[in-house]
Amino acid sequence: MSLKKPFFFGRRAALSGAGSFLLTSGVRAATPRFAPVREEDLLVAFGHTSPVTDGGWTHAHDMGIQALKRTYPKLKTLYVESIPYSADATRIFRQFVAEGAQMVISTSNYGDFIRDVADRAPAVAFMECDGHAVSGNLGWYYITHWYASYAIGVAAARLSKTGRLGYVASFPVPSVYAGANATLLGARSVNPEATMRVISINSWFDPQAATEAGSALVDSGCDFLCGIMDDPGYLRVAQDRGVWAAMWNTDMRQFGPDAYVSSVTLDFAKFYIEQVGARIRGDWKPEARFLTLGAGVDRDAWGQRVPEVVRVEADAVRARMLGGWSPFQGPLYDSEGKLRVAEGHVMNDMELYNWNWQLQGVSGLG
Amino acid sequence: MSSSRTRLTVVPTQRILVGRGLALLAALLIVAVTLAAMGRSPITLFGLVMHSTVGSRFGLEDLALFMTPLMLTGAAVWVGIRVNLWNIGAEGQFYAGATAATAVGLFTGLPPALAIPAMIVAGMAAGMAWIFVPAVARAWLGVSEIVTTLLLNFVASLLVYYLATGPWADRVTGALASTERLHVILPDIWGVVHWGFPLAVFTVVVLGVLLARSRFGYETAIAGANPEAARYAGISVAPRVLAVLLLSGGLAGLAGMVEVAGTVHRLQGGIANNYGYLGIVVALLARGSCLSLIPAALLMAFILDTGIVLQTTQISASAVLAITGLLVLAIAVGDELAAYARVKKTS
Repeated sequence: MSLKKPFFFGRRAALSGAGSFLLTSGVRAATPRFAPVREEDLLVAFGHTSPVTDGGWTHAHDMGIQALKRTYPKLKTLYVESIPYSADATRIFRQFVAEGAQMVISTSNYGDFIRDVADRAPAVAFMECDGHAVSGNLGWYYITHWYASYAIGVAAARLSKTGRLGYVASFPVPSVYAGANATLLGARSVNPEATMRVISINSWFDPQAATEAGSALVDSGCDFLCGIMDDPGYLRVAQDRGVWAAMWNTDMRQFGPDAYVSSVTLDFAKFYIEQVGARIRGDWKPEARFLTLGAGVDRDAWGQRVPEVVRVEADAVRARMLGGWSPFQGPLYDSEGKLRVAEGHVMNDMELYNWNWQLQGVSGLG
Repeated sequence: MSSSRTRLTVVPTQRILVGRGLALLAALLIVAVTLAAMGRSPITLFGLVMHSTVGSRFGLEDLALFMTPLMLTGAAVWVGIRVNLWNIGAEGQFYAGATAATAVGLFTGLPPALAIPAMIVAGMAAGMAWIFVPAVARAWLGVSEIVTTLLLNFVASLLVYYLATGPWADRVTGALASTERLHVILPDIWGVVHWGFPLAVFTVVVLGVLLARSRFGYETAIAGANPEAARYAGISVAPRVLAVLLLSGGLAGLAGMVEVAGTVHRLQGGIANNYGYLGIVVALLARGSCLSLIPAALLMAFILDTGIVLQTTQISASAVLAITGLLVLAIAVGDELAAYARVKKTS
């Protein structure tokens, strides 16, 4: 099977302006319909940013895929791991389409690299985790991890003696801003003097660099490490240096049982089963979807050395958020001291998803 | 009368082709046996690879897209090797060229007819600028260009990460870790294949003719082969070393321009995709002939594309990397074996 026309549609449409990337493009007139397909005829292809054995982000998605395969045992799936954020990603997604996939799910952001392929294969359903574009056949999904990070931040302020938190980041992109800012905001709700120092390592999965960054942060006086890494690198540092650490993606306590506080844990099983089910029935639609606190993202069970009083306090905050309260309210200032969120304004999930400035008290990110 | 083997100093192309063919066959056999041992059918996989590379329209488009930057970075390294200079920094000059082209494409507001030539000039100039200090240091101070050009790769890569996530980051479409889409791009000519492909072929051909026929080509060849003899003949070596390295940097910068303006359309970290380093392999594959850069880039593109196809069949990325490495190693072994010829000894 080869890619046929309409070939030029993609680039032209993309050139027509930024509007085509925004959510509003969901109203595009020519929305293709996705006919029902039998389970045994459906091929779903997954594109991963790191190895499925990373123990973190991709592992969490792979767990979802395993659950999907238990629900639909006749479903055909394939995946490619460690896809670079480059034109190679386009090649791999094109290859998925060429091999007959009717549904392509990228478990990380690939922006134009997936958008270009989706535009040229209008009969294939595409979904992009951490994406931003909705088109006739491309939707995105993401987790509202900032609420879990906020609850962990509350615990961080109680556990840290110095009030200095260290954050091992990948790139200064919105999901990282949201993670770092939310954690510090949670910490400042308990200790208004708390600060956060960030080191970006230009990768989501580089255990050696994450370990070095963790060490540097401890050297600079941080006694609570957190971050957004696929691997447990800086948890081992925390264990060795006798400080605390909070992780991302999965339960990683076995790599540093004394240092482990909690983790922003992810569960994509229900979402993948629902989406593939919709594709089989023929009622799949491209849309923007947030998986919310308690329904796809949560804090992990607390670490063994986290005192009961800290658990109770942080969980009480979590319960309030589950009840609909949002801690992301103005006034909020950026690290330059400029008022960014006015008093009385509550940041909605889209604003939190697009957070691209560092909160007062955070340094080193942007 | 007995026969023995001697290493030839000049190896005929025919011998090289036979040597490489046999070595590749041996490597493919090893891969096939390994795949069979893993419980996979080598024949099915071979069929899929052929279909997805040379056997289908989209496969051919992908090969051409891969070849485009490889021909140019290959040429960048090749012009250096020709005169015994090793530019290991094509990766960095690629980044510099992509960055300068992006600046033109995003911030000048020129119409396409002017913007594209301006991007080409800016990309090449930036590649030259990136190699300028190592080139001067090599030409007049004898500082090894291998080390200096290599180290600047890391500087360029981090600079692009900084720009793409910092001052030039896209605030409009929410794209991550990249700049806004360029306002002017190289038009497509065949599916996803853009004007960069004919431009790269043209560049290689012109370069081949220029270096074979011009006074510059002759003098640099002499200066590279034997600096002492060149000096004796009245050719001053240092300016020619500088010129060759600047040409090399300019070609790598052009590769960066073509990749950002033709294929990726946004500046982002990692855009060089190792094309600078792969250019070294392409240049070595091409050996002494400039035009051979084209088939060498095709072979490299085929190997890279095969890697991608194999990954979609659930063969792990590390196994694919091992296979790619084995194929390149086989070619090197083939070249070496081809250099040994049986000669008859008469006593």
